[in-house]
Amino acid sequence: MNEISDRDLELSFADKLDRAARPLGWLLAVLAIVYAWTVAMAPIDSIQGPIQKILYVHPPLAYGAYLGFVVTAFGGMMYLWKDQENFDRLAIAGAEVGLLFCTLMMVTGPIWARGTWGHWWSWDPRLTVTLLLWFIYLAYLLLRAFGDAGPRTARFGAVYGIVGVLLIPLNYYVIEIFGSRSMHPENLERGSLGDGMGLPFLLGNLTLGVAFVWLLVRRWQVENLRAIAARWGRPEEDLQ
Amino acid sequence: MRDPALSRPPDTALSVRARGIEKRFGSFSALRGVDVDIPSAHLLVVLGPNGAGKSTLVRIVAGLLRPTAGTIEFGEAHPEKCRNVRGQIGFVGHATMLYPELTARENLVFAGRLHALDNPAERARELLAEEGLEAWSDRRAQTFSRGLAQRLAIARARVHDPRVLLHDEPFTGLDGAAAERLAERLERLREDGRSLVLVTHDFRQASRLGDQALLLANGRVAYRAEAPLPSASELDEISRHEAARA
Amino acid sequence: MRVALAVLWKDLLTEWRSRDRLVAMAVFALLVVVIFHFALPEGTGRQIASNAPGLIWVAYVFTALIGLNRSFSQELENDALSGLALAPGERGWVFLGKAAANFTMIGTVQAMTAAAFGLVFDLDLGSVALELAAITALGTAGICSVGTLIAAMAVRTRFGEVLMPILLLPTLVPVIVGAVDGTEHLLETARIPFDAVQLLIVVDATYLITSFLCFEYVLDE
Repeated sequence: MNEISDRDLELSFADKLDRAARPLGWLLAVLAIVYAWTVAMAPIDSIQGPIQKILYVHPPLAYGAYLGFVVTAFGGMMYLWKDQENFDRLAIAGAEVGLLFCTLMMVTGPIWARGTWGHWWSWDPRLTVTLLLWFIYLAYLLLRAFGDAGPRTARFGAVYGIVGVLLIPLNYYVIEIFGSRSMHPENLERGSLGDGMGLPFLLGNLTLGVAFVWLLVRRWQVENLRAIAARWGRPEEDLQ
Repeated sequence: MRDPALSRPPDTALSVRARGIEKRFGSFSALRGVDVDIPSAHLLVVLGPNGAGKSTLVRIVAGLLRPTAGTIEFGEAHPEKCRNVRGQIGFVGHATMLYPELTARENLVFAGRLHALDNPAERARELLAEEGLEAWSDRRAQTFSRGLAQRLAIARARVHDPRVLLHDEPFTGLDGAAAERLAERLERLREDGRSLVLVTHDFRQASRLGDQALLLANGRVAYRAEAPLPSASELDEISRHEAARA
Repeated sequence: MRVALAVLWKDLLTEWRSRDRLVAMAVFALLVVVIFHFALPEGTGRQIASNAPGLIWVAYVFTALIGLNRSFSQELENDALSGLALAPGERGWVFLGKAAANFTMIGTVQAMTAAAFGLVFDLDLGSVALELAAITALGTAGICSVGTLIAAMAVRTRFGEVLMPILLLPTLVPVIVGAVDGTEHLLETARIPFDAVQLLIVVDATYLITSFLCFEYVLDE
């Protein structure tokens, strides 16, 4: 008897996430179309050429990339405190979505760099910190993957999440102050925004922000469903 | 911190109450809704076939494992996490928890210092004498036979004179004399007012020592009995019966 | 507190009796120095000298990885880890004891490595020995604090020996940057690099406090 109502509770939460995700999904679709349009219509930068348009995508990705790990750390801390598995699922969702955004950053950055001043890579502080963040994400996900699927691994993940989230400001501070000394101090030129560039940039922030939240909610939902399936078998009714 | 003056009854009794203990490992349920009551001056015997969840239950009561659901209360205190009562619990598990490169004495001293005893060296000396291990005091634990190591492990569990003692198959590897000594010690500890749990396959000892018996099968309590417990052969019979049923 | 000292004593005593960790680390460190010698081209003395701080810290970090790995595997042997988990009070003290033991052992090997480095690469480390030791100590404290925490987790995870460096190295970037910068500065100017020292103190404090507090959750099964 007890088991059935627990399952219903879990399912109802997954359901709530599903319901929250739907309007977000629609909003995202609309925003994405408008965003793509404005980027296409934006004036082509005289110096950098069309590749400059990556700049409408690259910086907004940063929010998702960094916020992702904050979510992971938050979920982990709440899990340690409240001992509720749902927070751990949130942590996982945060890590995967954050890794996605971080990877996209690592891809768009060098493409832009190569297009504008010919190098794929530079040890610019921001790029370096993002690279390190990428490694932290990977390390976290590997820790989860190699551990058995139990509360101990969840706890370890939470601890590493806390260490990782502290690492972000530490790395930034360290590399800003020290890193550029011994490494090649090439500066990534952040072209100033001219006319007609403000709107796509704003939309970029908005769209990718919504994308992040939508992906996070969906991933959280999936993790919930996965846990339910693991414990009770697949639910008979299909959750759309 | 407490003076390790021994064989002195604890000041206040400490009972253990576990309710609705569940433990899942992934999709596997090791324990489903187990209730246990261990008053002070009481010895609970836990029986059951392999894989029934006995070790899991004992580790949960010891605070080494967190249950998926359920509560454990100690004494009067409201259900706190086991952390607050760790100093009152002694545990003898399947593994000895000993350091092979340290001598018997050093192992005990270390355990004593972990529990913040005032005079761990003195306590170690006492325990070695009580367990009849003096001759091996300064021999490294890695040279010990299974039985000797087991006796040392049992001594280690008592270093801080805990009010609750949990033993997971402690008779394994003990010869007749040592087993007898352990049985007598358990009786004395029970008389001293402590709460004891004994997981064992030895029905003779179970029948003789237990105030209460619990039979676990497939993670559930299949059978309970109060003192006077059935004889060894009866317990054996019941155990087989329940194991076949599950 | 006393628990930390007890753990420190126990670890050092165990190590002294078997000496396997120390020997492994020492041999490894010397091998690394030798390999560096072969791997680096016959450059001018100045070239080597400018790379020395970085190389020395690479050697330190990899040696530390070996030491940290073993630090908890001995606890798994007879499930002694449960013994530690059963100890009352704040588990962070167990962490401190372990970290201190690691620090001592790694520090010993580091001293030896530094001497070897000085010899092989013809560096004058003697004149700044004390300051060098201080910087190294600060860096190693950082490594041992977060390293002990992560080792405790990795040891009970599949492929722990592979996982540990993956988990640890990203967290060591601030430590390495600070330590290398400080060592470089010290070797060049023979004066204490206050910037680096400050950084290392901040990083060490952060890691020590975090690890101390989080260790509670790491010892649970």
